[in-house]
Amino acid sequence: MTGTRFRITVIGVVTLALFSALFARLWYLQVAAGRDYAAAAVQNAVRDIPVPAPRGRILDAQGRVLVDNRVADVITVSRRISPAQRRLVVGRLAELLGTDRRRIRARLDDPRISPYAPVPVAVDVPYEVLAYVAEHRADFPGVEVRPVAMRRYVHGSLAAHVLGYVGEINEAELRAQPPRARYTLGDTIGKAGVEQTFESELRGRPGRERVEVDARGRVLRTLGVERPRPGRDVRLTIDLDVQRAAEEALTQVLASARATQDTSDRRRFRRFAAPGGSVVVLDATSGAVVALASSPSYDPNLFTNGIPTPTWRWLNDPANHYPLLDRAIAGQYAPASTFKPISAVAGIVAGVITPYTTIRDRGRYSYPTDPDRFFTNDRGAAYGAVDLRRALTVSSDVYFYAIGGDLYARQRRGQPGGDALQEVARQYGFGEPTGVPLPNEATGRVPDAVWKRRVHEQRPDAFPYPDWLPGDNIQSAIGQGDVLATPLQLANAYAALGNGGTLHAPRLAEEIVEADGSARRALPPIVRRQVPVPGREVILDGLRQAVEAREGTAVRVFAGFPRGLVAGKTGTAQVAGKQNTSLFVALSPATEPRWVVAAVIEEAGYGAAAAAPAVRRVLEALYGLPPTPVVVTPPPRGN
Amino acid sequence: MAAPVLTDRRARLEASPLRHLDPLLVCIPVALSATGLVMIYSSTRRRLADAGLDPLTYVHRQALAVALGVAVMAAVMAVDYRRLREFALGAYLAVVALLVAVLSPLGVSVKGAQARFDLGPLQLQPAEFAKFVLVLVLAAYCGAHRGDLDARRVVAALGIAGVPMLLIQAQPDLGTNLILGIMTIAVLAVAGARARHLVVLALAGLTLAVAAVQLGVLEDYQVERLTSFAQSGRDAQRSGYNQEQSKIAIGNGGLRGQGLFSGTQTNSAYVPEQHTDFIFTVVGEELGFLGSAPVLALFALLAWRTWRVALLANDTYGTLCCIGVLAMLTFQVFQNVGMAMGIMPITGIPLPWLSYGGSSVVASFACMGLVANVHMRRFT
Repeated sequence: MTGTRFRITVIGVVTLALFSALFARLWYLQVAAGRDYAAAAVQNAVRDIPVPAPRGRILDAQGRVLVDNRVADVITVSRRISPAQRRLVVGRLAELLGTDRRRIRARLDDPRISPYAPVPVAVDVPYEVLAYVAEHRADFPGVEVRPVAMRRYVHGSLAAHVLGYVGEINEAELRAQPPRARYTLGDTIGKAGVEQTFESELRGRPGRERVEVDARGRVLRTLGVERPRPGRDVRLTIDLDVQRAAEEALTQVLASARATQDTSDRRRFRRFAAPGGSVVVLDATSGAVVALASSPSYDPNLFTNGIPTPTWRWLNDPANHYPLLDRAIAGQYAPASTFKPISAVAGIVAGVITPYTTIRDRGRYSYPTDPDRFFTNDRGAAYGAVDLRRALTVSSDVYFYAIGGDLYARQRRGQPGGDALQEVARQYGFGEPTGVPLPNEATGRVPDAVWKRRVHEQRPDAFPYPDWLPGDNIQSAIGQGDVLATPLQLANAYAALGNGGTLHAPRLAEEIVEADGSARRALPPIVRRQVPVPGREVILDGLRQAVEAREGTAVRVFAGFPRGLVAGKTGTAQVAGKQNTSLFVALSPATEPRWVVAAVIEEAGYGAAAAAPAVRRVLEALYGLPPTPVVVTPPPRGN
Repeated sequence: MAAPVLTDRRARLEASPLRHLDPLLVCIPVALSATGLVMIYSSTRRRLADAGLDPLTYVHRQALAVALGVAVMAAVMAVDYRRLREFALGAYLAVVALLVAVLSPLGVSVKGAQARFDLGPLQLQPAEFAKFVLVLVLAAYCGAHRGDLDARRVVAALGIAGVPMLLIQAQPDLGTNLILGIMTIAVLAVAGARARHLVVLALAGLTLAVAAVQLGVLEDYQVERLTSFAQSGRDAQRSGYNQEQSKIAIGNGGLRGQGLFSGTQTNSAYVPEQHTDFIFTVVGEELGFLGSAPVLALFALLAWRTWRVALLANDTYGTLCCIGVLAMLTFQVFQNVGMAMGIMPITGIPLPWLSYGGSSVVASFACMGLVANVHMRRFT
């Protein structure tokens, strides 16, 4: 019996040990480490639902609204309804909205929408539908009608390329954002234009609603709300009136060109294709972009609810000449004769000419070592004795061929200043982005010996000559050959010439304003560098005479314009396989210019024929002059 | 000197055994049952309400089982435990028959285990009753051969226990078998089995357990559940999820608890099987250490009283009955609460009287009835 007692005691001790272990563990979990587990419990049960911030507005220079938000009625469906209710609701909504069930179901299953937030299934719902849903609440469990802020581009396609558009953030954009920016899938983000570059100002800071959820993600209660900070307004340098005038001028000139015969083609009757073009208006004193027009264009409102696939396809079809492309900053064109002022500066800087050097223009030029190869004026015109001013007025190619040739000779002899043409062009901002705050700006091109060797080595079939030849430098001097510039680069270079040598980074935003107007931050002009402007008065006078003198290339277009208001340069770029590009850059007023207006019209003939009338129309708007219709008229001579 | 003793003795003989009842043995199970009802309500009301059902559905069923359990306890106490021996063989055969029947299409399969009969509002789990009956039978057999348990008789005792255990393993119900195994060893040990037999038995049990894990006798999910507790936190979303959530819930209770019906983890249904196997997490979260420690203390108190009865019992049979019940009670509590607190692997063992489940409640009351029975008849 003592053995039994002993064994019972052992059992008792084991029991005691087991219970002691349980008490110890309970003490550890609840008292010693309780705080850690309590924290884990909070993390378990709390979720944050993002509350989007109202996006900032975009205003024009005078504070007129270009982009704001409107309130749209959205039908939302809660994800907390039972499967049976969901089936019912999806069926009834599909019937009511005239869509099919699959689309609504796909929306409801969209993982990009927070699982704790109601899912929007229809936007901009007709009033009758809203009324029906409101009157039949019992038939639509979990369905709500709520107002939602939608982006609105007040003037439709006006300034579309500047403003850009918004859309749902994609995976790549999400990855590119820092985590503190709090983007989540399904968020709206600027996809182009100012909407993209000023995203961080416009977006504001999303708030969050903190909710307690259970293991199945059902919301039990709201724990707190962090209010969103609305986005800031961006006041642009763009002037609504000038922008509208520029776009109208562009539209008119393209329409007129398409109705005009291309007389340079003697073999057959053919009208100008004029697929597109652009107009740039700069304030030369500050680098502010007053208007930036590109045609063809599009309506950014199309993107607001998610752009329909056919529309997207239409916008990207080559047959429609790429409306999404901003030709003002991404179109690259041979600047042709509009480049001549740059060549003039280069010639003076290098010392191959003075502002008063006169040469005899017999209509053609040949490089000394290759006397049998001629570079001719347009249509072989011979202008006789030309100095720099007259060379610009009548657009003598020979004068600038000579500068290009002389500079080439210096290069060959290893004398200083041989690279002046390329160097001055780069100083004036060619061959690099201007720094305008818009995405996808093109760099243009300033060709030189290094560039030519590189492209030859990369593509020997397309570029058979590795060496920089006389003809390369000579053609570059009249903005042909391989020189490429964007319309904005061209206008910006003229702005530097006009304002006495200050090259700005073009500016698009005047200031950033808090949503409640409490604070504003001005964005000052950005000076990139000072550029040489020797012979500026002579050059400006030559450009003025191009508009005012009888033999000026654009005199007909500006007939009747106040004297001294405009100085300008025409350009007619030859493009292999295409009709000529028509260019015109105006400085206004002629002596101490404030405005630069540049127009580049694709496949529209002479600079004086298409681009110049468009520029004139914009100048009329700038000065409040009565508008004259924009009609393409081929000039008798001069490119 | 002798006369008073004699009168005293006669008085004891003549008096009703109820006079010697240990009230703790009856009150503690009832108190635990009452706590269980509240905890079941707390953990199921939300889910039931969401499903559009009466939030008291489970409470009603459990209350019915508690009432039934109290009645069964009374019935077990009414008959002298020595006379219960006469029913032991019949009960044993009946339970074995039920265990066979439950494997047939008569039984219902719930969560992968063919373990129940569906009887309207209540479900019958014969394995729960096998616990009670096996205590009776083993105590009777070993009590009869006290001090003379040679290898042959140990094997016979193992055979008695082995038949229902094999049938239970076929369901499969690993948890119940663990309890039965521990109980068998405890009864054999106290009955006087030789130390070397016990060592062999323990080693064999260990080998069987390892073999079951290693040789694929258990389903993968069972192995995972059994081993995941050793790697806590590593795989919180998969097999370790239950245990991690269970620990979080208990830890969230802290010292004072979140308050009755206010446990965030409990209300949010983070802990699976919370009203059954993980009922202790509700106690832990909502009542905190100051509430769950007393609940645990009630079990300890009950174990102590049972152990005391084992010492006081009038005969070996009574002692062995108490030891069997004590072993089952202690191991069930240790395994269930230990599992909820992450120190034992997950096995589906209910917490006596607290967990939702009629058969468990009734069987537990029957066991305590047996102990109380032995106690109040310790002088006769």
